[in-house]
Amino acid sequence: MSGVSLQKVNKIYGSGADSVHAVQDLDLEVSDGEFVALLGPSGCGKTSTLRMIVGLESITSGQILFGDRDISHLDPQDRNVAMAFETYALYPNFTVADNLSFPLEVLGLPAELQRKKTDEIAELLRITDILQAYPPELSGGQQQRVSLGRALIREPSVFILDEVMSHLDAHLKFSMLFDLKRLHRELRRTMIYVTHDQVEALALADRVAVMSNARMQQVGDRNTLYNRPANVFVADFIGEPPTNFFRAEVAYHDHDTIISVMDSDLTLQPGTAAATSLRESQRKEVIAGIRPQNLGFAETAHFLTADVEISEYLGERSMLTVVNGTTRFQAIAPPDLRVNPGTSVRLYYEPLNVMLFDPETETLIA
Amino acid sequence: MAPMRRESDTDHPEWFQKKRKSRPLIVARWVPIALVGLPVATLLAIVIYPTVWMFYHSLRDTNIQGLFMGTHSHIGFSNYADVLGSERFQDSLLHLAQYLTFGACLQVIIGTVLALTLYEFVKSNAIRTVVLIMLVIPMMLPPSIVGVLWRFLLTPSNGAVNQALLNLGLIEQHIEWFNAGISLWSIIIADSWNWVALPLLIVYSGRVSLPPAVYEAARVDGASQWKVMRRITLPMLKEVIAIAFILRFTDAFKFVDLVYIMTSGGPAQSSELPTYIAFQRGIREFAVGEAAAYAIIIFIISAVIITLFLKYMKGVMRARGFA
Repeated sequence: MSGVSLQKVNKIYGSGADSVHAVQDLDLEVSDGEFVALLGPSGCGKTSTLRMIVGLESITSGQILFGDRDISHLDPQDRNVAMAFETYALYPNFTVADNLSFPLEVLGLPAELQRKKTDEIAELLRITDILQAYPPELSGGQQQRVSLGRALIREPSVFILDEVMSHLDAHLKFSMLFDLKRLHRELRRTMIYVTHDQVEALALADRVAVMSNARMQQVGDRNTLYNRPANVFVADFIGEPPTNFFRAEVAYHDHDTIISVMDSDLTLQPGTAAATSLRESQRKEVIAGIRPQNLGFAETAHFLTADVEISEYLGERSMLTVVNGTTRFQAIAPPDLRVNPGTSVRLYYEPLNVMLFDPETETLIA
Repeated sequence: MAPMRRESDTDHPEWFQKKRKSRPLIVARWVPIALVGLPVATLLAIVIYPTVWMFYHSLRDTNIQGLFMGTHSHIGFSNYADVLGSERFQDSLLHLAQYLTFGACLQVIIGTVLALTLYEFVKSNAIRTVVLIMLVIPMMLPPSIVGVLWRFLLTPSNGAVNQALLNLGLIEQHIEWFNAGISLWSIIIADSWNWVALPLLIVYSGRVSLPPAVYEAARVDGASQWKVMRRITLPMLKEVIAIAFILRFTDAFKFVDLVYIMTSGGPAQSSELPTYIAFQRGIREFAVGEAAAYAIIIFIISAVIITLFLKYMKGVMRARGFA
């Protein structure tokens, strides 16, 4: 077992004018036994990153270490890494048992031991009853279990999962999430899980690494990503529904720092720490963000006034789309709320929950 | 707003009713009959009727004169007895076996090896395409040209093949390519040159369509290239290879052209295949009844083998959950 460390890793596909810089100066530290999710929208470079860790793709520059060992230019089989594929990639002409034992067969283990380990792993993944079946006969969930088993059987030091749940239906996904979490707790292996689904990533991983546009945006646990997003992208990407953003001007009064949203008569009160840092920098413009979950009807000292445009009833909650001037934003409301479009409402918030970003660099100020 | 609901299922929108009324039912009555009837009639005319006709004459002593004058009589299965008992037919079966093993099988094996070598070792698409086109060119030549070409190449005294072998020092004197015992080999060589690209194309396209993720999985699992080839690629291509073989196999049963052009079955009937004898007896010597018996026997042999093959394929498909 070992941790994984990526240092200034770059990947450039092609050359000259057609080249694509898929991964740029990527740094990532995964400690031994940790479960890290690599999260990002399609085309952000997360799959390229993962393929470089596994060794299916060469590294243009930079270094990848497993523990202290530099494996940047080794073949996949010399890295002691295992991978579960998005498309399962089972050997269609092998039975499930043969699929599971193939990595051991390659290692040249005696047949007796192969069988013993196969039975163990089948037990662990609850696929003992389908050991003699062929992959095309199996359901997606079963195939995914077999693919996990085949990756786990070799007891790799690093275990990579590539979008393993994107082809499962919601119900199966839920039980697989549970199983994966259980597996990780029992095996305590270094796992890197690649996904574009934040629910999976946040549910499974100890820490989540958010990627976008070939770059690492932020690495952190759920609370950090949610409450202290490093930049506008992370604030927007993490959380459902996405954060409300406002372009705003800052006015400094004697004791107060007031943020007025452009194209509306909304004003926001920043938290004390944010106010102090604003005052120090004396900046005139910011991007302010506040999550729809943090706008509500429980009365506090601060509120935004706006007219209801749409009220969507979503089962366990309602979502309000409200407008003030030309500024539209959203708030989560209790499910039993009945408001007619056009009604003016007060949406209360805590100044602490107002996030402020630099309008140029889009990074978090406070 | 409440969803719109129809009163009943028969309450179709107006445009639909109109369309239905404008198409008279009479059209619906004869169109299907015509659509099914024409193919059935064609099938009857070009397959069923000739087959029945052939079977009828295989039981009679029909020759060319009898065929036109209508003077032929029933002789039971004695045509079959004659054919099965004749040394000429038995020899031709041995020739067929030789042709199938060394011609059809070798073509499939060489084609497979070439296809997989091309796929595994040539990574540039442009080079692959050029090589494929070069390999496919022989297949585009008409058999008559191939036959004449190889008769030239294999001419014993000054043919290109003997000259090349002499120059390379592989042989010391000319090989008599068209002597008894060798002439069938000559045909096999020419035929293999002509057709090796067919299994190659089939296996190559089969290999191209195998899922790349499976190969990445094997790479991560640490399997050597040879192991991947033996345990994954070849088993996954089993059906594809079997289909390539079946195509060459069916061709072997109707293989007349090269035999006719290169050796005319000779010398001394030493390169005759069953179909060639049927052709010779029926079309050249007008022994219609006997030729019909030949044809029926060949038909039965191939039908049995194809049935066995299909059974095997079905078994494979079922084991994999495809059927």
